[in-house]
Amino acid sequence: MSEPRVGTTFEELAMPLFDALYRYARCLADNRAEAEDLVQETYLKALRGFVSFTPGTNFRAWMFRILRNTFLTSRSGLRAVPPVPLDEAVPAQVDNATPETEFVQRANRESLRRAIEGLPLAFREVLVLSDVENMSYREIAETLSIPIGTVTSRLIRARQRLRVAVGNVIMREGS
Amino acid sequence: MNRDLTADEIERYADDEVDPAEAGEMEQHLLQCSRCASAVLRIVQMKRAVRDAMSEEGAPAALRGRVRRQIGPSKAPSAWWLLAAAVVVAVVAAMIVPPPRPSPALPELVDMHTTLLASANPVDVVSTDRHTVKPWFEGKLPFTVPVPDLSPTPFRLIGGRVVYWRGNPGAYLLIGKGAHRLSLFIFRDDMAPRDLAGGPLPMTTNVWRSRGLTFIAVAQVPPEDVRQLRAALESSR
Repeated sequence: MSEPRVGTTFEELAMPLFDALYRYARCLADNRAEAEDLVQETYLKALRGFVSFTPGTNFRAWMFRILRNTFLTSRSGLRAVPPVPLDEAVPAQVDNATPETEFVQRANRESLRRAIEGLPLAFREVLVLSDVENMSYREIAETLSIPIGTVTSRLIRARQRLRVAVGNVIMREGS
Repeated sequence: MNRDLTADEIERYADDEVDPAEAGEMEQHLLQCSRCASAVLRIVQMKRAVRDAMSEEGAPAALRGRVRRQIGPSKAPSAWWLLAAAVVVAVVAAMIVPPPRPSPALPELVDMHTTLLASANPVDVVSTDRHTVKPWFEGKLPFTVPVPDLSPTPFRLIGGRVVYWRGNPGAYLLIGKGAHRLSLFIFRDDMAPRDLAGGPLPMTTNVWRSRGLTFIAVAQVPPEDVRQLRAALESSR
């Protein structure tokens, strides 16, 4: 079902992705208004570029990539990109049984949301694409234009950072 | 496998990103090693928590309308054109009144699947045992729910609940495969959604009818997985 049929219109393909694209925009942008502009611009750009879309390739990843590129060239996008490359190396063994792990189980939705929003963009988006949008590593790699191995290591780092971040949010709120 | 799983393997296992041969070996190890098993479980729980925290927000209806107008086929029609169109519509409508077409059901069922998975309590009866889930539906539905035996398959039963479609009750079974969740809606044929034609959807769906019941499977998995589930259900009955 994810492969477009021949003769499918742009609207038929693109509108079912509306909520997902808006969620991704909310994850990238600073506020609702900016997220709305981002979604609107994405649809316009995608409509104009639809002739260059290759049928049979992943339309969802294509749309998400357009949204992401639109964001990265915006003012807040340029601010969000880290000045130094992220360290993608991952330790061979990870101790998941740290006290921070327990925080994730205890955290309420709001604390968890705040902790996710506080993560650097590269970590935040990989979590949302994987866990909320259920994208496969291949699809995430395609959307972010990075190798699949980098998707794995970035997810590991993102989850480690999130454990610590949730702990910090809970402790701040508790104090 | 005589060693602990690496961080990379734990992550890929929890994300359902391992090939079947690799998965078999890992599962053998996970059965014996509580340390690695709880590491996988923690990631699965974390994935669920992240999804719950981030997925509740839908796009504003006004934005959707604005975008639809922008990308729709008719852009900014002139007032004269609108007037002419209205006249044509009125004349045609006076001649033929087509019956109202039911809205396509699959997108709504896909939304229902997403909503249920995003919920903290997607099922009301939580059990991997079909002998617990099947009797739970008794008296709640006007048909017997064929809860399948999934033990010889890669799928596992997670639980069930009653759902409603246009006021008619049906069964909902939540089925797991690795870290993925599949929804199976079951309705009596005469109470099932009408317009189940396929179309471009963000998820994989499969609809079939058997013994007076309509089955609709929805999941964010490759079509082969859904076909495999359907085959497993049909062979277990």
